[in-house]
Amino acid sequence: MAVASMSHGAIAEHEGADQLYVETRALRLQGFLLFLVSDCVLFSSFIFAYLYMRNSGQGWPPPGISRLDVSLGALNSVVLFGSGATMHYALENWKHNNFGRYAFFMLATILLGSAFLSGQAVEYTHLIFVEHVTWAGSGIFGASFFTLTGMHGFHVTCGVIYLTILFLQSVHGVYTKDKYFGLTAGTLYWHFVDVIWVVLFSIFYLI
Amino acid sequence: MHIDVPILEKTVAVVGGIIVALVSAKALKDDWTSVGIDNGVFKLMLGLLCLGAVIALLAGVGVLGNFPKAA
Amino acid sequence: MSATAVHAGGIAGHIHPEPQGFVRRYIFSLDHKIIGIQYLITGFVFMILAGLLAEVIRTQLLHANGGFVSPDVYDEVYSVHGSTMVWLVVIPLLTGAFGNIIMPVQIGARDVAFPWLNMISFWIFPVAGLMLFSSFLMGAPVAGWTEYPPMSLQAGPGTSMWAAAIFLVGVSSTLTGINFLVTIYQMRAPGMTFTRMPLFVWAQFATAPLLMIATTALAAALAALFIERQFGVPFYDPTKGGSPLMWQHMFWFYSHPAVYIMILPAFGMISEIIPTFARKPIFGYKMIAFSSMAIALAGFMVWAHHMFTSGLAPYLQLPFMIITFIIAIPTGVKIFSWTATLWGGKIHYTTAMLFAIGFVGLFTLGGITGIFLAAVPFDLHVHGTYFVVAHLHYVLVGGSLMGIFAGTYFYFPKMSGRLMNETLGKWNFWLFLIGFNGTFLPMHWLGMLGMPRRVPEYDPQFQFWNDFASISSFVMTFAILLFFINILWSIRNGKKSGPNPWGGRTLEWQVPSPPHYYNFKNIPTVFGLPYNFSQPLPYKGLEEELTDTPVTVGAH
Repeated sequence: MAVASMSHGAIAEHEGADQLYVETRALRLQGFLLFLVSDCVLFSSFIFAYLYMRNSGQGWPPPGISRLDVSLGALNSVVLFGSGATMHYALENWKHNNFGRYAFFMLATILLGSAFLSGQAVEYTHLIFVEHVTWAGSGIFGASFFTLTGMHGFHVTCGVIYLTILFLQSVHGVYTKDKYFGLTAGTLYWHFVDVIWVVLFSIFYLI
Repeated sequence: MHIDVPILEKTVAVVGGIIVALVSAKALKDDWTSVGIDNGVFKLMLGLLCLGAVIALLAGVGVLGNFPKAA
Repeated sequence: MSATAVHAGGIAGHIHPEPQGFVRRYIFSLDHKIIGIQYLITGFVFMILAGLLAEVIRTQLLHANGGFVSPDVYDEVYSVHGSTMVWLVVIPLLTGAFGNIIMPVQIGARDVAFPWLNMISFWIFPVAGLMLFSSFLMGAPVAGWTEYPPMSLQAGPGTSMWAAAIFLVGVSSTLTGINFLVTIYQMRAPGMTFTRMPLFVWAQFATAPLLMIATTALAAALAALFIERQFGVPFYDPTKGGSPLMWQHMFWFYSHPAVYIMILPAFGMISEIIPTFARKPIFGYKMIAFSSMAIALAGFMVWAHHMFTSGLAPYLQLPFMIITFIIAIPTGVKIFSWTATLWGGKIHYTTAMLFAIGFVGLFTLGGITGIFLAAVPFDLHVHGTYFVVAHLHYVLVGGSLMGIFAGTYFYFPKMSGRLMNETLGKWNFWLFLIGFNGTFLPMHWLGMLGMPRRVPEYDPQFQFWNDFASISSFVMTFAILLFFINILWSIRNGKKSGPNPWGGRTLEWQVPSPPHYYNFKNIPTVFGLPYNFSQPLPYKGLEEELTDTPVTVGAH
């Protein structure tokens, strides 16, 4: 068996390439969604652990620890949700070929995402240095809060880095009007991170 | 001028919550008829985003959330 | 899944240029067939290591007062034996090895959906295994493969190494699950609808979500254990407000689906082997396919049957008991279907077929003792005894391992172009059958009489049957040695097999042995189930596969 020449005509090549893109995009999309599903399971397991421990009968918050600051949490939440909305519009504008507006909304998303992280930093600093609630030293309250929000914060940090890379790539022309799967993936990831926060905010700050 | 930080936070939360909820609801409505699995996931995420904004809004006005009782 | 039969999302991909150089072809290969063989070899190496650990256990138990190793070392031995067999042998062999080697060719694809991810998944595996075994140098884990706190919180550094190693191999599993799920969903050949897929593919399709979802739950449990041990963050320590029971819930929520990961692909291979050597269509194709999905789903709902003695309230024990009983039904459906397939068939007793039939019998026994254990009153009596050890080895060795042996004998020709030696194979099989049953059958009554598991010494009343088991285990070990000798001998001296030594009808048997790196010159079209032995093959477009026609790089 001999491996012979390279392939055929220009037109067939072009059509074949489009078909190939559509097919590989389907693969990548499904793979990325499944990755998000497994990430969801990861968070769900820790959320189960938190709810299980919280239900262990000591009353909540445990003695000596005060409730979390709902107003700061609500503010931070709105910042993150706002970044979700801007991300949506960034992608919409890309699809409609408005690079300027896309860039505005993309940078706004990155900014708001970073603002969320700063808000978390404020929250952590207050908890650790003013209220003396720490990861290891505050029983299951500290364990569950810092582990879950820490995991989420890590995901947001990775998201901010990822979006920055995507933005730089888009500036360099990696994506076109029709081929922009990276941006779709980034948007999906960012929304995922938002939705996880809806749950975390509700179970830590509200109930 | 003395600013009560929690009041400021709650105000931003309420205003921002309203804005994000309206924006995401509109986006959801505009995209309602799109097909395909990625569009389906986006619609779901936008819906949850809207829900989240409403929750944050309600937390900002004090309806949701166990605020410590005043002594 | 599409409405029409013709276009089943057939993403084939181009024929890319052949990889050049030893490293690109055999070390950092992107080819699923090579990666599968890498998994196979690595899995077999860990099997030998874990098997040696098992022999340390059986040697220790030759004497009622032990003496072969100290009790602390004994704890390390059975903990690493169990962990290795589950995470470094059975799961990688059944999913990473056989799944990779066979499934893409069986669906008419050129490779899996994400070949780079596949390669990374593999390379994580030997690294994680080395990490686990390195724990012997720092105080290996001692609380069994289940590592319950508080013991796992208090043990030496090796337990943290264990947690990190298993976390890592779990990442490998999860990525494989995603890869296989997307591959099967999107890359089947044109015309291969879900109900025309071979049963091995159905098995991998049912296993992939388990790999993806259950393994991540384990990762959470392990991460929590690790950060509690290393940073003092309380999750499981009751003195700090944590709960040891929570570990059990989180651990078993993964580990019960894990046992289905460890059996479903084996079921799939048996479903291929039995019709081939009975020359009859598989009985109840749809029932077998859907029962695999049912088992995968229901497998998530029964975890607490491992926790009946942990203080769960009776109102919680009851639903777990009932659902566990119910899982026996889809499994029983398969057993009946395989038996009905054999009935009236022209049976060819090749070694692969012997192992397959042995599987059906031994797994049934193991399944029955599983039903016994599902009954709470019975379990309260035998939990933590050798009855459980007997049950788990009947399903995992009489089941999964026999499935691995059967699959090796069946697919070795496809991988290497040579047949394994049938004489050695028959010696392998019969010695294994005798040795295996001699080892594990007595454990049923040892357990019912009260011998606990994980003990380095025991009451002298159990002496005879422990000796019986240990001697039998040496026979079993010898049989396994024959298996490896057979492999090594056959690589060089096995009779050339040609593309289809068994007269199989699935796609992998319609291409050369071993297949070209690109699997198919032309992706075939499928228009029927493969199992109708009296009909012509249900494929179109395979004319050039066994010829010498050249391929065009870049061809679709």
